[in-house]
Amino acid sequence: MFADLALAQMSALGATVAFAAGHSPTSAAGIAYTFLFAAIGAALLTASRLIPNEVQPEAYIGIIYVVATATTIVVVDRSPQGAEHVKQILVGSILAVSASDLPKFAVLYAFIGAIHWLVRRPLLAASEAVHSKMGCSLLWDFVFYSSFSVVVTSSVATAGVLLVFCFLIIPAITGSLFTRSIACALGIGWLGGVAASAVGLAASFEFELPTGAAMALAFTLMLVIGAVLRGLIFAPAGGRRICIRIFLRAASAMTLMTLLLSAIWLMIMPRADQPMFDLLQSATGIGPATFLAVQERAVYVDALKDADYRRSQESRLTTLERQSRWRGDGLSDTEVRRIGSFQQTFNEMARGDDFVVKSLSGRARERERWYVGLPLLITSLLGLLTLLPGKWRADPARLRTACLRFLRAFQIRRSINGGIVSAGPKALTGRCQKTTYGCPDP
Amino acid sequence: MVMASRARLIAIVALCVMSASMHAAFASARIVVVATTSDVASLASAVGGDVVEVKTIVPPGTDPEAFEPRVSDLSMLSDADLIVRVGLGYDLWIDKLIIQLHRPEFQAGGGRSVDASVGVPVLEARGRTPVTEDGHAHGLGNPHYWLDPANAETVTAIIAEGIIRLMPAARDTIVANRNRFLATLHERIAAWMQQLAPYRGTALVAYHNSWPYFARRFHLNLIGFIETKEGVAPSVAHLSSLIAEMRQSGARAILQEAYEPKNFSEMLSARTGAPLVVLAPTVGGVPEARDYLSLMDFNVGALARTLATASQ
Repeated sequence: MFADLALAQMSALGATVAFAAGHSPTSAAGIAYTFLFAAIGAALLTASRLIPNEVQPEAYIGIIYVVATATTIVVVDRSPQGAEHVKQILVGSILAVSASDLPKFAVLYAFIGAIHWLVRRPLLAASEAVHSKMGCSLLWDFVFYSSFSVVVTSSVATAGVLLVFCFLIIPAITGSLFTRSIACALGIGWLGGVAASAVGLAASFEFELPTGAAMALAFTLMLVIGAVLRGLIFAPAGGRRICIRIFLRAASAMTLMTLLLSAIWLMIMPRADQPMFDLLQSATGIGPATFLAVQERAVYVDALKDADYRRSQESRLTTLERQSRWRGDGLSDTEVRRIGSFQQTFNEMARGDDFVVKSLSGRARERERWYVGLPLLITSLLGLLTLLPGKWRADPARLRTACLRFLRAFQIRRSINGGIVSAGPKALTGRCQKTTYGCPDP
Repeated sequence: MVMASRARLIAIVALCVMSASMHAAFASARIVVVATTSDVASLASAVGGDVVEVKTIVPPGTDPEAFEPRVSDLSMLSDADLIVRVGLGYDLWIDKLIIQLHRPEFQAGGGRSVDASVGVPVLEARGRTPVTEDGHAHGLGNPHYWLDPANAETVTAIIAEGIIRLMPAARDTIVANRNRFLATLHERIAAWMQQLAPYRGTALVAYHNSWPYFARRFHLNLIGFIETKEGVAPSVAHLSSLIAEMRQSGARAILQEAYEPKNFSEMLSARTGAPLVVLAPTVGGVPEARDYLSLMDFNVGALARTLATASQ
């Protein structure tokens, strides 16, 4: 699986070496360098069949990845163009692909597709005989990795390592979730891949996200949806309803668990980051002002308004200065200095207001923990109890044993009868004396 | 015969020793100035002339805002007599090196440190913390002030002051060097202004916000930037609004630095017809920019040429 990432990193190394040697990654020399390094990567990956069985192939591939990445960083340090290049290779810029680039990719991929179609039988045989060290398996592995490296080489500079990995791996896994037939898996993977790309692009546009990363996340979402669908489709005959019920129950248990944990977190550390309550706040529009005393609320609203006002004053000055660069006589150095001093002051004042807002929000959260945290804690606990399997609810003793078992897993022994808590060394030894601690020994 | 060759050998050895000691004496008479970037380094050597030996930490053509210091930089810094930094949070990484060296005189405000930004009228001033929330070094204000050639006058003054403080005997040489440099600079500024005068108010787009000082000096109108955060690819929404803005204000060129990725600029260029012009933000950023004056020569020339062909 990570062979792809390692190979992509090897071609990134090739592109970087080409760059350091003064060739553009899209020039003939650049492509030659990239392909050479990718081919070395392919040979190294083929050699993974030859390593002793005690060594995990993932570890070997991981080492190739790390070495390629480290070498890239060293080469970048020596190259005249610096780190920007590596960032570009990792993130890629799928947006900048133009229509004139498409025929080149279409021809190349059609060619590779044709090769894979022609030699599909030995390739599949080699991929199934994972531990075979036969010469022919090695040869077909090398053929596979080499063609793979051509794909990676040609696409890394366009789409970046992250996206190339997503495009190559995630649709294939999604397809294989549903069918054993290669043709069907390919179809599902292609359709899913196209859909995920479109969703990623749309999300990037709608929510102002970096395109490559948004697409990578869309692919992951597709995989999760695929996994859920698989559970539903491949349920045993007649058991589909049970499956749906289990799925719904698991999903609501997870949601309730999240609510429970964030309620506990709010009650323990009200001033820490509370992502769950920030989300609730922005969804409901009920801000911290609701939980403040009248006087504090006035200060809070004032600080918010003031911060906005200071920022608007600052941006007005910035616009004025920007316009003055080319309009009229321009500003003198003294005027620019004076504007700069005002800009600094306004920004610092806005920062002061931000501080007031933040500390008052913290105070509001401290109260919120009783008004919101406690009810949420109780509701989610009750909700979780209703989700428990019926036989547990019917028999409280059984529930108690299950809870004890769960607590014991964390090495915490709490006596339910006596109310004595022990987390001492004795508790850690795993022995629990009934007389002292009052908890039943298994 | 043997005697003669021995005498010759002695003479050669003596000559070697003499020349080595002379070299050492000469070298010790020069002070070692370590500059963070090649721009302040070039100005320091223009002022210092033969009195100083100037070394640069950030290799030319690298993005100084994303620079990671190496061990070799530490040893270079330990040999320094004077440090010249760009300031405004542009080269904050040097503070880490100075702390490692345990030499407080190199710290900001110390006797052997020159902050070249002192006295420069700062554009886009933000606050009193050098690093912004997004980790980018424009927290105090825009740090690319050397791209306004008029600022070189202020910068050379403070560098000259720093060198004279360490070497009062060289005062006259330093002042003469600076006056010579300023005479050339003033002549060139007049020529550059004339070269770009026809393009006053021209709308331009830049990849990174490196050019406000340049724009102020040459009366150009920077309407937007491709990069919203350093190292993160711009979003579709940002690019499409930038394209709309470029069309509306008739942007005539896209400014780009050699080390910045070109693909987005090329895409914008293809969509709007505004040509791409590669400028050098630092000395050594392109081979033509050998020193400060040729850097400005190159930038003004490249922009004037592109705008001339774009307006035809």
